[in-house]
Amino acid sequence: MSWIINDFNIKKQADSLGVSIWQAPSFLFIGLGMIIVFVMTVVFFVSREFITTEVLVTAETIVIVAILSIGNVIINSMERLAQVNKTKSEFVSIVSHQLKTPLTGISWDVELMVDKYSDGLSDKQKDILKNIESSNALMSRMVNDLLDVARMDQNNFFTRKDEIDIVELVKKVIGKNNVLTLKNKVNINLIVDDNMPKIVGDEKRMEVVLDNFISNAIKYNKENGKVEIKVARDNRRALISIKDTGIGIPKNEQNRVFDKFYRSKEASNKETGGTGLGLYIAKNIIERSDGKVRFHSVEGEGSEFHFSLPIV
Amino acid sequence: MENKKILIIEDDATLRNVLSEFLESEGFAVAMASDGEEGIELANNSKPDLILLDIIIPKKNGFEVLKEIKGNKDISDIPVILLTNLGSLDDIEKALELGATTYLVKGDYQIKEIVEKIKEVLSLK
Repeated sequence: MSWIINDFNIKKQADSLGVSIWQAPSFLFIGLGMIIVFVMTVVFFVSREFITTEVLVTAETIVIVAILSIGNVIINSMERLAQVNKTKSEFVSIVSHQLKTPLTGISWDVELMVDKYSDGLSDKQKDILKNIESSNALMSRMVNDLLDVARMDQNNFFTRKDEIDIVELVKKVIGKNNVLTLKNKVNINLIVDDNMPKIVGDEKRMEVVLDNFISNAIKYNKENGKVEIKVARDNRRALISIKDTGIGIPKNEQNRVFDKFYRSKEASNKETGGTGLGLYIAKNIIERSDGKVRFHSVEGEGSEFHFSLPIV
Repeated sequence: MENKKILIIEDDATLRNVLSEFLESEGFAVAMASDGEEGIELANNSKPDLILLDIIIPKKNGFEVLKEIKGNKDISDIPVILLTNLGSLDDIEKALELGATTYLVKGDYQIKEIVEKIKEVLSLK
């Protein structure tokens, strides 16, 4: 092949086109070019009478320049995209971290106030403290979600291995969603196997997982709808399911439910507050805790999410 | 848990003070340091029962502090709970390798929960 390259000086041609083919780091495109040139040469020798050597060599040169140029463009844009993604993740990471310190300060100060200095406060003052606390919790949650996603993207996400009383945790999350449950007039039913053993996982993260599923089941339910939460044991695993009688997920959207930033149209119509990160994060946490998550949903009838986790 | 002494090494004054006040109201004695050097000095002089250690602190960072504490046999037995908001996977692994008892991500925990962890670690000691 060297005669083609020397005689026609592909590099010069490429330079005149403003394309730096020699920077293409992938041999894939060089290989591809060589194969095509080889095939062209073979075809030429078989059917000699139709074209001249000059035409062949020109055609081969064009093919090589084209393939290497395209390869270069593809590789460059992939590198640029990777760089943009990395910068974006790092930015989110740094910003989130800087935000977390003052948010922690607010949260702890309010806790100190409520716990140790609330004597003599009027009910109104206590209500205001509660509002500060819940707004702060909302903001912390948002920052945490972004930080978690950035870490997942950077493959730097970590989970603790706590021993968790899953039944207590489910009850805690149901309790946390009390206001929402009353507001949406939803009925929650919790069914628990006797003697549930503890599970292994990150307690704080698992709380986030449960909160995502349970608050979704409440939010996207019908008025007077039901939410059934089951905690059961199957051999070495705990099985948790959350079933609602809500709006359900349209069939054509079901494969995107766990996608990052994805929100179903129906969900956005019903509730504007979501980020589309909840289920993406939940799935990630469950899988990193050696668990699996699945769902079944019928539009207009409701959804059921279930996942399993290892027990101690 | 009365009379147990906790050393807080944390550069953010708000967090340091609120933690300290909460712990004192729970019956702990508290010593505080705002940078790594002061932290090591206090760990040596006041012989705390447990240390709460932030990672990003001036003069000497949390890892250096941890290394020095665990390398000094007079104080190497003191359990150290890493209390950080940074928490990358590498950092956590590094800290545990260096001998931290456990780690907590600040923003994820209420102070009550941190107190529970402290009691848990102290009772295992």
